[in-house]
Amino acid sequence: MKKYSSAAMVAALCLVFICSFYVFAGQVRAEPCKEKITVLTPLGHPPNIKLKKMAPRLNTLDGKTIYFVDDGFIGGDNLLYEMIDWFKANYPRTNVIYKRKGGMGFEAEDPALWAEMREKADGIIIALGH
Amino acid sequence: MGIPSVAIVISDFYEQETEKALQCGMPGIRTQWIQGPVWAKTREQLRRDVINGNNPISGRPVMKEIVEKFTKPLTAEEKRSGEIKRDRGPETFTGTQEELNKLFLDKRFTDFLPVVLPTKERVDAMLEGTSHDPDEIVGKMSPTNTGHYFEFWTFTVRDVAVNAVMAGCKPEYMPVLLAILSPDPRTGISKEAISISDNGFMGAVVINGNIRDEVGLNYGVGAVGPYALANTTIGRAWTLASINLGNCGKVGTTYMGVIGNQGNLINMVIAENEEKSPFKPFSVRQGFKKGENVVSLFEGWGILSAANWAANAWGKEMDYPNIMKQITKEQGFLFGTIFVLSPPIADFVKAKYNTIAELEDAIAPAPSFGFGGMPKMKPQPGGNAEAPAPKPAPKMMGPRIPVIVTGGTNNNYWSAGGMRYSRSIKIDDWR
Repeated sequence: MKKYSSAAMVAALCLVFICSFYVFAGQVRAEPCKEKITVLTPLGHPPNIKLKKMAPRLNTLDGKTIYFVDDGFIGGDNLLYEMIDWFKANYPRTNVIYKRKGGMGFEAEDPALWAEMREKADGIIIALGH
Repeated sequence: MGIPSVAIVISDFYEQETEKALQCGMPGIRTQWIQGPVWAKTREQLRRDVINGNNPISGRPVMKEIVEKFTKPLTAEEKRSGEIKRDRGPETFTGTQEELNKLFLDKRFTDFLPVVLPTKERVDAMLEGTSHDPDEIVGKMSPTNTGHYFEFWTFTVRDVAVNAVMAGCKPEYMPVLLAILSPDPRTGISKEAISISDNGFMGAVVINGNIRDEVGLNYGVGAVGPYALANTTIGRAWTLASINLGNCGKVGTTYMGVIGNQGNLINMVIAENEEKSPFKPFSVRQGFKKGENVVSLFEGWGILSAANWAANAWGKEMDYPNIMKQITKEQGFLFGTIFVLSPPIADFVKAKYNTIAELEDAIAPAPSFGFGGMPKMKPQPGGNAEAPAPKPAPKMMGPRIPVIVTGGTNNNYWSAGGMRYSRSIKIDDWR
């Protein structure tokens, strides 16, 4: 009797397993919902863009004054010093001036330097976008 | 300024700067791309890699290109003026759920996890969580916090509700989310959860008041983790809102975190365990009434178990305030120090200091942060260096050292990290 009971239990477990398999398989094979729905865009609103005119270029660098502006990022000064050395060697008739931008952080304005460059600079190199 | 200029930028930022130039109205701006990094290189290495090197984008010599950028006449495209009109594209999308899930993923509307699709019915139900008009403009957001660098996108209450639906929020979370996304009255700018910074910052909020129980925020065991619907989905909604309402988190353009931060997925939503804390709630220490519903915003690298600091070597007896002092000293002030204490640790601190203010006086007697802490630049040969005189560092606003008490009482664990406090907002203003 005990032997038959065990066999019955095994058979029942097998049945459960097989049924579970078909239920699971049915879920996997279920057709995706074909009903169409409408959803709202999640995006915010970007602003329009006003195009700005770029400054006219120079005919030559001879006799011109180029400002090398260091925005304070670590190592930017060394890079500008090297650029200055290159200009001295390759464009000896170009005036080169190094300036460290003031203000807190890379984004800060430096009105005094801007005013000076507006008056004296023919061109500006600014570093570094890291 | 009307003066021809060339910005020197390392080429890893090509996509970002190209988009930025368009946003600034100068899509043809003449940027010089160079090989990075520059930081930590010697002048000889810079000469080799940059001065005598090539532009990694064009493959042409850097210095030759710089000269050309000053002297080559402007093209017709570069002379173009006028306005480029923009909108956010279609207001709605229609398709099967499978199609829409794919579309949201392809358009990068998601955090790469499945979202609840924002049907009008679901969004309307979410809007029931606030009395504010769905068309009311909540604020404006950019990936750079200050907005000096990237443009601001504006957004409405309905736009917030759409993202709240996608994150799986309940309507009753809306006042909390709207408060998080409300603009700073000093600047009119809303705080993004995903900063563009290469630091890889994440966002955090601390929530105080009765609303913690009202919406089911967890402040017991696992308080800082994803172990309650409210904590998890409010944090996720802030991230989705940052992606969709502030154009944040797009790798290469509006996201440049070098290593990245797993916290950007759901941020840190910390409900303070006011009931088990021996100190006044964080919001009360910022001037709000006890019980008032307040959310406080933070940004930074995140927190780690204090076991990561040598000062917190485990022993039979522990002097937690002194350990906090050592950690604060190591962390510095540039990006802030924050402590998240479990109630048992807070009790140990309370045994030595009656208030958090007394603790702050003991562990951080000289509050300051900012670029005053950066290495001083020395003038070097090769240029007429005129470094500006160092300015006194500004006084830190808000708490010197934010100390938050939350979590369970089942052991003496606590965390520390670099999170900077921003501001605190009344949640009930957004009901």
